Amino acid sequence: MSLTPSQWAALLPLLIPAFGACLVTLMSIDKDQATTKWIRGAMYGTALLAVGASFWYLTDLWRTGSQPTFFQLHMDRLAQFTGIFVAVAAALTILQSWDHFHQEGWVKGETLALLLFAVVGMVLFASTTHFVVLFLGLELFSLPLYALVGTVRARSESAEGGMKYFLTGAVASSCFLMGGVLIYGLSGTFDLAAAASILTVQGLALDPLVLVGAALMLLGFLFKVSAVPFHQWTPDAYEASPHPIAGFMSVATKGVAFIALLRVFPGSFGSLGPVGAKMQAVLAVLAVATLVLGNLTALVQSNVKRMLAYSSISHAGYLMLGFVAGTPAAYTGVLFYLVIYLAMNMGAFGLLTAFGLVGEQTTFEDLRGLGWKRPAMGFSAAVFMLSLAGIPPLGGFYGKYMIFRELVGTGHVGLAILGVIASLVSAYYYLRFLVALFLQAPSAEAERLASDRPAVRAPLAGAAVLVSAAIVLAGGFIQYALADGFAKRAITEGLGLLR
Amino acid sequence: MTWLNLHPLTFLVFAPTVLGFLLMALPHALGKLARLLGFLGALAIFVLSLAWLLGHAPAAGGTVMAERTPWFTLVGLPVDYALAVDGLNLWLVLLTTFLVPLTMLGTWNSLKDRMGTFAALFLLLETGMLGALVAQDLFVFYLFWEAMLIPMYFMIGVWGGDERRYAANKFFLYTLSGSLLWLVALLYLANKAGGFNPAVMAQAASALPFGVQGWLFIAFAVAFAIKVPLFPLHTWLPDAHVQAPTAGSVILAGVLLKLGGYGFIRFAIPMFPQAAMHYAKPIALLSVIAIVYGALVAMVQRDIKKLVAYSSVSHMGFVMLGLASMTVIGTQGAMLQMLNHGISTGALFLLVGMLYDRAHTRMIADFGGVAVKMPIFTTFFMIVTLSSIGLPLTNGFVGEFWILNGTFLSGFPWGRFYACLATSGVVLGAVYMLWMFMRVFWGPENKDEDSGTHHLHSDLNAREIAVMLPIVVLIVWMGVHPKTFVAASETPVAALLQEVKAPAPRTFVLTPAVHEASEAHEAVGAAGAHAPEAPAAHEVHP
Repeated sequence: MSLTPSQWAALLPLLIPAFGACLVTLMSIDKDQATTKWIRGAMYGTALLAVGASFWYLTDLWRTGSQPTFFQLHMDRLAQFTGIFVAVAAALTILQSWDHFHQEGWVKGETLALLLFAVVGMVLFASTTHFVVLFLGLELFSLPLYALVGTVRARSESAEGGMKYFLTGAVASSCFLMGGVLIYGLSGTFDLAAAASILTVQGLALDPLVLVGAALMLLGFLFKVSAVPFHQWTPDAYEASPHPIAGFMSVATKGVAFIALLRVFPGSFGSLGPVGAKMQAVLAVLAVATLVLGNLTALVQSNVKRMLAYSSISHAGYLMLGFVAGTPAAYTGVLFYLVIYLAMNMGAFGLLTAFGLVGEQTTFEDLRGLGWKRPAMGFSAAVFMLSLAGIPPLGGFYGKYMIFRELVGTGHVGLAILGVIASLVSAYYYLRFLVALFLQAPSAEAERLASDRPAVRAPLAGAAVLVSAAIVLAGGFIQYALADGFAKRAITEGLGLLR
Repeated sequence: MTWLNLHPLTFLVFAPTVLGFLLMALPHALGKLARLLGFLGALAIFVLSLAWLLGHAPAAGGTVMAERTPWFTLVGLPVDYALAVDGLNLWLVLLTTFLVPLTMLGTWNSLKDRMGTFAALFLLLETGMLGALVAQDLFVFYLFWEAMLIPMYFMIGVWGGDERRYAANKFFLYTLSGSLLWLVALLYLANKAGGFNPAVMAQAASALPFGVQGWLFIAFAVAFAIKVPLFPLHTWLPDAHVQAPTAGSVILAGVLLKLGGYGFIRFAIPMFPQAAMHYAKPIALLSVIAIVYGALVAMVQRDIKKLVAYSSVSHMGFVMLGLASMTVIGTQGAMLQMLNHGISTGALFLLVGMLYDRAHTRMIADFGGVAVKMPIFTTFFMIVTLSSIGLPLTNGFVGEFWILNGTFLSGFPWGRFYACLATSGVVLGAVYMLWMFMRVFWGPENKDEDSGTHHLHSDLNAREIAVMLPIVVLIVWMGVHPKTFVAASETPVAALLQEVKAPAPRTFVLTPAVHEASEAHEAVGAAGAHAPEAPAAHEVHP
């Protein structure tokens, strides 16, 4: 059997990381992996190579444009966008992992293999409208992440967080499955776009079972983006997981879940107008709850990782507001926001590694005075935090700007006002990060402890942080290139409905 | 050089940023070099701005220099990179470029560490201030307006006093709260207008129902009023001023507050003329309260710096009163008063800083008889004090006189009454300044071991005198020949007010007879009759 180039194009973004994952797994069989430096180097090199190859391949594919559908895989611009997005997140994660796992003393090949499998699942998840493939993708990236959260088995909290994430995640997955089955039962097809048109023709658009099915599917997505009230796993899972993995989860899981939501709800279910309207109403209510709860809870956290977890919940709220506005420009804004969010959050978690904070030492106290000791990291931290707060002229501002603009344009002025108030509140806890870094001197105790320890060396994590900061700055100064050239084309050429 | 000929404003605005980032990249050990480079750079910018902005003959509309080019279109809204210097902002731009190097020189030895970073932040702040002043597109204005917060936040938070973290956060969040709500109004109007060009937006605004215009004006006004700061939105100011390092206080008082008043005259009033006329009375009332309240609170302060901070509230109240009068003379007075306040209060903060650097205290009670120990310092302080009080022949007098004159003659029924009330602020100003002066400088020398006076060992040195001399020259110049500084703004202000009053304001259609009658009534009416909010708010959303 020989495949045409476009068929290869659909498969290779999945095959490259899968192949890399298998190779890394084989390498990690060596029981000396933890002690022999060159094996560790080779494993990380392979993983980085796999991610880099798929990034390179996808950017090349981006130039040729959307590919025809093959075997339920739509390798269109939106899927390519997702692939590039996930590859960048994974590359930053791998770079940070090298330093973080060395600091923790827990360098294992399996973490890399799991990460690469998660990448495969994510690309699959965001490039299909066939329910079974969708579910396959969901599980393929969820299961490795459950394991990754608890990967540092030496820490008992780590296992606790992983178990919590797994149990709640399993429930959400079964709800998602149930929703898909209901839709299938009424329409007789797993292809969601076809199902939507069949249901419309049969006049079942507002059938209670269809609504329940759609709502359950929505629940599955909302769990992954950690929207209130499906957010409880987030702080525990982030706190338990290694910093780079927490960063990866906060960015990539949320990102692909939103992109898949885009493909399913305004995309495939676009013809089911009334269902879409109902789901938008649900999203509006939940977005408000997410913004309020996420931001207010983040205010009182003393642990940076938990603060970032609640901040990531609140960012899900802003992104959901983009769905409430529901215009192509708003979806463009959502994708743009995701790109910047990727850089801001990977950078923020990367800082923890770059500062050498391991285990439970991730409170604001532990950050005191570090900004002056490591000026480049401090500068990046200021970029990330101010951008997360949405202060111009940084990338985060433009993400919010695009979404709020569409909200105001579609008549949701009240929601826009709520959104800006939420970002005002959020500015306080992001400033706390900067207060600790720059405005507070380290305590005498911390100074003494620091002088006992060897100096922190985390060159790769530092490089990852600088790359992230560059992306955030680019989002602030060449925002139109990123928004028009990248995000907008993914929307218009990916989701044909929105052209 | 061709690029420079085409983009002189871009150069002026962004050269400080480029230099600032270079200074940030310098190693820590070269802090003193960075301080010197920062000062020389800021001085060069000042000289260039003087040469370019005063060297160019203004065009017919008063525009000295302008740049406009399409920047980007995001979510369907085009943003123009539009900068211009015209009669309204010419002197504020020069004030900014003047105060930055002066402040750097004036606080040369105030900081002991991280001098390079401080100089760099100062230059970034200069970019923010200049950019906001010259921006002619509301999106660009918003960017600079917000970006200004970042360097100021760090200047207060890192180099400030004991409560610096609280003050910095309060300053940041307070200002942000106003501007975020303003952003929503901006987006709403930009949606209607299809862009951020102020003229187009003004046109779109005039087509909206009056109630909506009112709300939009309020959103604009609140954002600017926080910056001014107008009572009761002033509470961030004393904290920020007292905690900020001297240089931060000077620039905060000297330029940042001006941007609030400038925002009113550049955007809020011309874009919503009807709403501005409608809300002139509440704004004027709040200004009068700010004038009197600020002065009363200043009187009871024990900390000199806090006294100066509250005097800012009072002085900026005059600016807002002048703007609310909607007369040419009142608005011109407000323009001049903004410059006056920048010079006088900036100078006061510098002087207080010089005193603090020597005595390590700012409490009035710790001093006494300073004049004996520091005669030169006392002389300068006296001159600046008199200018702050508004003694004739100093700058303060002209601005306040014009503002009161404009308010008195505004034709508004409340005008004369408010002018009388505001005049009491001038008297109170003399009281708190002179009383402070008396306690600190006159009297027997405070011989107490712990007192501030005891720690004063040296009078001003050559550097400090060099800083104060240009200020004294300006104080006298502006007092004797204010025309130099307000000639440029006369035509644009007159044109602006003509526009504002042209569309026959709905709520103030009064025949002269009615006018006289109501004025007479107001003049004898008790203060209680002036509850402003209730009727005004009622009319906005019928």
